[in-house]
Amino acid sequence: MCKTVFGKGIVAALLGVALVSSPVFAADYPSKDVRIIVPFKPGGGVDTTSRILAEYGNKHMKNAKLVVENRAGGGGIVGQTFAAKAKPNGYTVLAMTSSVVTNPVLKETEYKISDFRPVALYNMDPEVIVVGAASPFKTIADLVKDAKVSPLSVTVAGIATSHHMAGLALEDSAGLKFTYVPTKGFGGQLQAVMGGHVQVALFPLGEIKKHADAGSVRILAVAADKRMAILPDVPTWQESGLNIKRWTTFRGWAVPKGTPDAAVAYLSDLLGKVSVDEGYIKQMTDYGYPIAYEDAKGFAEVVSDYADLTDKVIKKHGLKGK
Amino acid sequence: MDSILLGFTTLMDPGVLGFMLIGIVAGLIVGSIPGLNDNIAFAIFIPLSFSLSPTYALALMVGLYCATAVGGAIPAIMVKVPGTASAILTAVDGHAMARNGRAGQALGIAISSSVFGGFLSGLVLLFFAPPMAAFALRFGYVENFSLGILGMASVIGLLGGSVVKGLISAVFGLLVATIGFSQQSGYPRFTYGLDNLYEGVPFVPLLVGLFGITAVLELTEELVHDRRKGIKTADMPRITDSLLPSWSMMKRLMPTWLQCSAIGNIIGIIPGAGMLMAIYMGYERSSRRYKRLYEGKPGEVEWGKGAPEGIAAPESANNAVVASSMVPLLSLGIPGNSVSALFIGALMIQGMVPGPLLFMDHPDIAWMIIVGFLAANIVMGPIAFLLVRSISGLVFLLPKHVLVPTIALLCLTGAYSDENSVFSIVIALISGTVGYAFRKLDIPHAPLILALVLGRTIEDNLSNTLSISGGDWMIFIDPVGHPISVALMVGAVLFMVGPMISGARKRLQARRQQTEMELQNS
Repeated sequence: MCKTVFGKGIVAALLGVALVSSPVFAADYPSKDVRIIVPFKPGGGVDTTSRILAEYGNKHMKNAKLVVENRAGGGGIVGQTFAAKAKPNGYTVLAMTSSVVTNPVLKETEYKISDFRPVALYNMDPEVIVVGAASPFKTIADLVKDAKVSPLSVTVAGIATSHHMAGLALEDSAGLKFTYVPTKGFGGQLQAVMGGHVQVALFPLGEIKKHADAGSVRILAVAADKRMAILPDVPTWQESGLNIKRWTTFRGWAVPKGTPDAAVAYLSDLLGKVSVDEGYIKQMTDYGYPIAYEDAKGFAEVVSDYADLTDKVIKKHGLKGK
Repeated sequence: MDSILLGFTTLMDPGVLGFMLIGIVAGLIVGSIPGLNDNIAFAIFIPLSFSLSPTYALALMVGLYCATAVGGAIPAIMVKVPGTASAILTAVDGHAMARNGRAGQALGIAISSSVFGGFLSGLVLLFFAPPMAAFALRFGYVENFSLGILGMASVIGLLGGSVVKGLISAVFGLLVATIGFSQQSGYPRFTYGLDNLYEGVPFVPLLVGLFGITAVLELTEELVHDRRKGIKTADMPRITDSLLPSWSMMKRLMPTWLQCSAIGNIIGIIPGAGMLMAIYMGYERSSRRYKRLYEGKPGEVEWGKGAPEGIAAPESANNAVVASSMVPLLSLGIPGNSVSALFIGALMIQGMVPGPLLFMDHPDIAWMIIVGFLAANIVMGPIAFLLVRSISGLVFLLPKHVLVPTIALLCLTGAYSDENSVFSIVIALISGTVGYAFRKLDIPHAPLILALVLGRTIEDNLSNTLSISGGDWMIFIDPVGHPISVALMVGAVLFMVGPMISGARKRLQARRQQTEMELQNS
C-alpha cells in the first residue's frame, strides 16, 4: 500500500515537472551554461570560430557562459546527430555548417534538416577558383577557354562535399569540364595545387586567403554576389561568365527542433550583438573568416536557398548514396 | 642569421623557456602513459591554448611534440607496453634487454638515440628547410603511391618465420583499411550504418588497442598462469645498471643512428608518409646490418632478443621525423603528418596561418618554433634521464596485479578521449583482442600495422593518379615525368627480391655443404 502511494507520488511528481517545464520557459534563461556542440576535433575552422564567438558572447552573458564542446567523428555526423537528439531546452546549440543540409540527403543520417531550428548565421565563406603560382592560367578567362576544350584536373576536399558540388554546378552552368581529384581536407589540396600535381583547386576563401597573400597560389574568381573588399581585383563568378551568382558554405548556430522561441530569440540577439563588436570583427578578419550576420529568419532563408541549389546538383549528377 | 638570433631571443624569454620545459616534462609523462599520445595531448591542450600568449602556447607544443616519442620508449622497455605507437618496435629488443638485467642500458640507448635523431632533424629544419620543402612539393599522387608500395615492401624483410602468416597479417590490415567512405565515390563502405565508422575505423583507439590492450592481455595471461602453477610472478625489470651508454657503445651505434635519422628525416619531410613508416624502414635496414655484422658473434644476442641496434633504430628514426615534419608545414603551410597538422590548429587559434607569410608577419614566432626544436632536443636528454631515474623507477616497482589493470584503464581512457565517445573504447577492446589472437597464433603485427597506416594512402593515391593519367598505369615508371616514383619502385622491388635472393643463397650453401659432407663420408 505504502509502495503504491509512493509510486503514485512519483508519477504525479514527474507529471508535475513535465507540465511545468515544457510550456513555461524559464524567464531567467540562460540560468546555466549553454554548450556549443562542435562536431569536429579542436583546431579547425568551425572550432576556432566557435571559440571566438564564445569569448565575445560571454561578455554579454550574466549568469551563464557559452562553452564549446567537441564531439568529432563520422565527418561531423556524430556531433550533428548528438545535437539533433539533445533536449530542446536552449542549452544545446549546434555549430551548424552547410554539411548539415547535405548530409541527410547524401548519407544515411538519423537526423533530418527539419530536426533543427536555425538561430543565426555568423560567417559565409564563398567558393574560389584557385591555381598554383606557376600555373599558365593568369586569368579566369584563360582557364575557361581551356576547360571548355578538354577536362582540367581539379582538386576538391572530398567527393559530394559543397566544394565538389560547386565544380559540378560550374560544369552545368558554364560548360566547363573537370576531372575531380578528391583529397581528405585542405592540406592535401594545397600540396597538389602548389606542386602542380593538379591544374585547379576549389577552396572556401577562408582556407586559402593567407596562402594567396603569400603568393603561393592565385585566386582567379570568387563566388560572391559582388566583388569583395578584401579581394578587389578578383572578379566574381557571375562577372566571369560562369552563370553562378553565389556559392558559399556557411557557419551558424542551430538548436534542436522544439526549442522555445524565447531561447532562439535570445541566442539570435546575442550573435547580433557579437557581430558588431569591434574586437570580434578584427579577430575574425585577421583569421580570414568573412563576417556576416543573419538572424533566425534570414538564416532559414540561406539554408533553404542552399538546399535548393545543392538538391539540383545532387539529383542531376546522381550523388545520392542511398 | 639575424632571424635565427631573433628566434633565439624570443625563446630565451624565461616564460617561453618555462613553458617549453613544461611541455617536455608533460610530453615525457604523457608519452610514458600507455594509451595517451601526442595526438590526444594536443587535442586536449589546443582549446586551453586559446587563452595563452602565442609564444608560450607554441613553445609548450614544441616541447610536447619532441618529448612524447621518448616517453613512449620507457614503458616499452620496462613492461613491454609501448607508451605511444612510435615505440612499438622499441618494445621488442628494449624489453628483452631489460629482462637480461640491462634495463638502464636499454633506456640510455633509447634516450640518446632519440636525442641524436631529434637534434639532427632540428638541424635539417633550421638549415635546409627551403630546399627540402621544394623536394617535398614534388611528391604528388604518383610519388605517394610508390612510396606506399615501398613501405609495404619493407615488411618483407621483417617477416622472420612464415611468409604466409605475414601475408595474412598484411591482407587483414588492408581489409580493415577499406572500412569507411571511399574517397573516390564519397560513399561509405562496410560501415553497417555506424556513423562512427564513416571516416574509417578511428585510428588512435585502434592503435591503442593493438599495442596497449594486447600487451595487457599478455601480462594478464602471465599473471594467471603463474597463480595457477603457484609460481611467484617474476618482478618487472628494475634499473640496476648505468643509464649512460658508454663511448664504445655510442661509437658502435653511430652508423645506425645516422642511417635511421636520415630515413626519418626524409620520410618526415614528405607530407602524409608518417612516423610509423620511418620506424619500420629504419628497423628493417638495421636488422639486416645487425645480422650481417654482429649476430652469432660472441657476446652478441639474436636480433629481437635485446640487440642495442633494435632500440637505437626505431628511437632515432621516430625522433628524426618530429622536426622534419615541420618543414613542409612552416615553409609551405602543408601539414607533414597528423601531429604537425595539429600545429595548424594551434596556430589558427592564435590567428596565425603556417606558411611563408608566417615568416613575414610573425618572424619571431616562426623562428622561435624552429630554434625551439633544437633547444628542446638538447634539454630533453638530461630531463629524460632524471625522470627515468626518479619517477619511472618508482612506478614500475608497483606489483604487477596493480600495474596491469592501471595500464588497461589508462588505455581505455586514452581511447575514449580521442573522440569523446564510448565507441572508441569498443574499438580499442576489439583491436586488442584481435592483436592478442594474432600473438597466440604467431602472426606478426608489423605487416598489420603498416597495412593499416598505408592502405588508405595507397588506395587514394592510386585512384587519383589513374583519374589524372586517364587510366595509364605506366605513369608510375615514367622516368621523365616521375623520376622519384621510378626510384621508389626500384627500391620496392629490391626490398622484395633481396630477402628472396639471400634466402636462396643460404639454401644453396646449405645444400652444397651437405653434398660435400656426403662426398667426404663416402
